[in-house]
Amino acid sequence: MVSRAEQALDDMDRMRRGFTARRIRLWIVCAVVLAFYVVSWDLAGIDLQKLAVGLPKLGHWIATAWPPKVDEIPLFAYRTAETVAMAAIGTTLATLLALPMAILASRNITPWPSLYYPARWFLNALRGIDSFVFALLFVAAVGLGPFAGVLGIALHTWGSAAKFFADHIENANLGPFEAVRTTGAGHFTAIAYALVPDVLPVLLSTTLFWWEFNVRASTVLGVVGAGGIGQELKNSMDLLDFARLFTIIAVILVVVTVLDQLSGWLRRKLV
Amino acid sequence: MTTVANTPRLAAQGVSKAFAGHAAIRDVSFAVAEHEFVAVLGPSGAGKTTLFRCMTGLLAPDDGTVRIDGEEIGSLHGRARRRVAVVFQQFNLVNRLNALENVLAGRLGHVAAWRGWLRRFSRSDRLIALECLERVGLLDQALQRADTLSGGQQQRVAIARALAQRPVLIVADEPVASLDPNASVGVLELLRGIVRTEGVGVVCSLHQVHLARAYADRIVGLSQGRVAIDMPTAHFDEAAFDNLYGNASAP
Repeated sequence: MVSRAEQALDDMDRMRRGFTARRIRLWIVCAVVLAFYVVSWDLAGIDLQKLAVGLPKLGHWIATAWPPKVDEIPLFAYRTAETVAMAAIGTTLATLLALPMAILASRNITPWPSLYYPARWFLNALRGIDSFVFALLFVAAVGLGPFAGVLGIALHTWGSAAKFFADHIENANLGPFEAVRTTGAGHFTAIAYALVPDVLPVLLSTTLFWWEFNVRASTVLGVVGAGGIGQELKNSMDLLDFARLFTIIAVILVVVTVLDQLSGWLRRKLV
Repeated sequence: MTTVANTPRLAAQGVSKAFAGHAAIRDVSFAVAEHEFVAVLGPSGAGKTTLFRCMTGLLAPDDGTVRIDGEEIGSLHGRARRRVAVVFQQFNLVNRLNALENVLAGRLGHVAAWRGWLRRFSRSDRLIALECLERVGLLDQALQRADTLSGGQQQRVAIARALAQRPVLIVADEPVASLDPNASVGVLELLRGIVRTEGVGVVCSLHQVHLARAYADRIVGLSQGRVAIDMPTAHFDEAAFDNLYGNASAP
């Protein structure tokens, strides 16, 4: 006498053992994933031999990095301040530009629904191009120096920030907005009155986050000549001056850590 | 239906609205006079929400007209919308603003746009807002953030916001559906008091028949999208109740 539960179990086992279409699909997926990694491994030029040779070299450089170039720290500090300032101006500019774009790119409150998709595409394009690439373009357009970096940061962050704000607005409760509309307030007045207070803390806290992120990201902008500490980093590397290089990295680490703490503390205050 | 000498605050005439061929309300006509509290009753799905959206201009009827003080609601654009104030079931206050700032939102249809953008209001507007808060008994809570107030208090702030609009009609859509019995009574007392003292009309949808009986001057009953009853509250009896709620339960 077989119970119904036993019967069900037997059926399940038979199903699993059978070479069903589902099984074939699983094998195909596995094969595709495997092929993807094989091709990627090849394209990425993975060569463990080189790593084995290179690692001791790196160790040797670290050994020559002592003592640090203490006398140059004021210069490094100045350059790092440049990087922090670039990130601050770029991020602020991006946030200010992001607010009107976010309204355009929010399906629920856009005053011109026909511009919704163009706005989204535009933001996706900005987001898809890294600040590094923008900086390359602007170095060519406005010349070497931090200003090109600011523009690069601003454009890329504009896209990311506006998309984030728009997604946030699309999930916001529109009740207060509708209520303010019925008092006879205009569309934009209602946005300013009912939505902005709701969104503002999130906006400020993400702006701080992007500033912090952009400080880290923009250390490399100097490599393309867009100002900041990255320029010194590249110079040192070109001269194989490892004491200088590691001193710079240490300065960057200290500044980034301090900023992390500061912005984390500020963000906790905002929420 | 009695005709009033003055223009009614609200006059709905043959209002119909259908969604995808399915009629939500059909040929709805009724009026709200100055100093009149009209309760709209009806089972769920009777078309109350659709009717209220038509009365606030959020929805355009397929047929018929809704007139506010003699003017068709479709012609009330922008600032003119301030003449109809809406009180919502979910209060719809801006949570992060305080009670006073929420009431000041009611002045946005009267002041220059930049004042709304910067939340800077003139002395006289702030005085109006504080008087409205006093009217609803929340003057002491003026600087308290909206989300720290109780449900009943939040609905009172919403009523003060409606008053600050200086409306001719207050449309209250299930204003007590999210409140406990005590707060409900308080809010309805307040609305009735406002109807008596200010020159407004109030049209208010309710779920509880006993509250409609206690506070309304007239009861309009909707059933399956039509006006099933429209009578002074004193005439609303067992038969009228059965007429309204019995119909809906029939197949």
